[in-house]
Amino acid sequence: MKDIVREKMVKILSGELIYTSSNLALNMLITKMQKKVLDDPSNMDACMEEIEQFAAKSPIIAKVDFSNIAKL
Amino acid sequence: MLITLEETIELINSGKALHIAADDSLLSKLPKGNWIGGTTPYFIAEEGGITTKDKLFVSVIDYAEEVRIASYGKYNVFQIVEECYDNGLTMIILPYGSDVAAKYGKDAPEVEELLMHPTIGWISGMDLESSDAAKVYDGTTGEAYTDKAVVLYIKLPDDKAALINIINIFKDDKNDPVIKFSDNDLGVKKCTINGEEFNFAQYIKDKGIDAGMPLVADYNGSYINTSIKEVGEDRVDFYAPVFKDIEYRFAVKINDYASEFRDKVNQAGDKNPVFSCNCILNYLNCSLEGEKILPYVGPVTFGEIAYQLLNQTLVYCEIL
Repeated sequence: MKDIVREKMVKILSGELIYTSSNLALNMLITKMQKKVLDDPSNMDACMEEIEQFAAKSPIIAKVDFSNIAKL
Repeated sequence: MLITLEETIELINSGKALHIAADDSLLSKLPKGNWIGGTTPYFIAEEGGITTKDKLFVSVIDYAEEVRIASYGKYNVFQIVEECYDNGLTMIILPYGSDVAAKYGKDAPEVEELLMHPTIGWISGMDLESSDAAKVYDGTTGEAYTDKAVVLYIKLPDDKAALINIINIFKDDKNDPVIKFSDNDLGVKKCTINGEEFNFAQYIKDKGIDAGMPLVADYNGSYINTSIKEVGEDRVDFYAPVFKDIEYRFAVKINDYASEFRDKVNQAGDKNPVFSCNCILNYLNCSLEGEKILPYVGPVTFGEIAYQLLNQTLVYCEIL
């Protein structure tokens, strides 16, 4: 994940930025990670790792989202 | 495609991997082969919505590099996360009213890595006028189950990916009160409304809320429904579980279901689904019998799976 995407994703998970994907799984994952971060902000690193893992599993689909997120 | 028993047998005998939805009277006549099946007599065919016990809805899995078929009970259903292909699509069918369907509905959102593996499927059902049991079939053994999930694991080529999405006619009004529950459950007594505790059944009655409208949760812009099965004296039962700490609101009332549904399908744009299924409640409420909803053809179901169990939703998968 590029630094710019990582930086924006941290903001999405902490609720400072809003991004809705056309990928249902990513929307569900963002909601799940936002809840974890809200419960305990120290979960952020683990949540970002899960997002990285998600992207690694579906690179073709994540590419579109990450390109959109970079432009936020 | 909606085809005859003879045509389906021919496809099975040709060795093709198939997903089949049909009435039990037809599924029980099929030979062993590379297929999974579930019971329903309701379909959205290319020709339009139809109720029939004379034909089978068959999806040919011709985009797979290889496939595997397995069945699971309530204690091991989430092995699907370990046993699926790394780059693949998991198709699952669970029988309505079964423990395995309840377990899947309740626990799927908490399962680690489920969202990493595209998982689509449905809850099999029955003719609503009958007392038939919902069943699923493992075609490799010919066995029918009322208490197991059957799964078709599809391996995709490295340059392809499965994308699962939904079409949902319901949305919430952010000005409406926020409803929360304290546990993941298919039935509840208590809830909080804007932080204040209420008996949910009493709240629905006191406010005169139309319980035909589902609860809607906003998952980062994707709206997930939970439909109400019954409002009892002091308890409310659902067709899919509600989840702890998720914010729910009642869906905004829809006056013309059919036109709303058509609008949503048009808004979804140009799609090329390899599989889709649509809820029996949409089929009935939107009067979809005879209506064409191309390209979203497939079984009409008693619950839809897009990773987790959904209600009143059209679910589809594209291969990109």
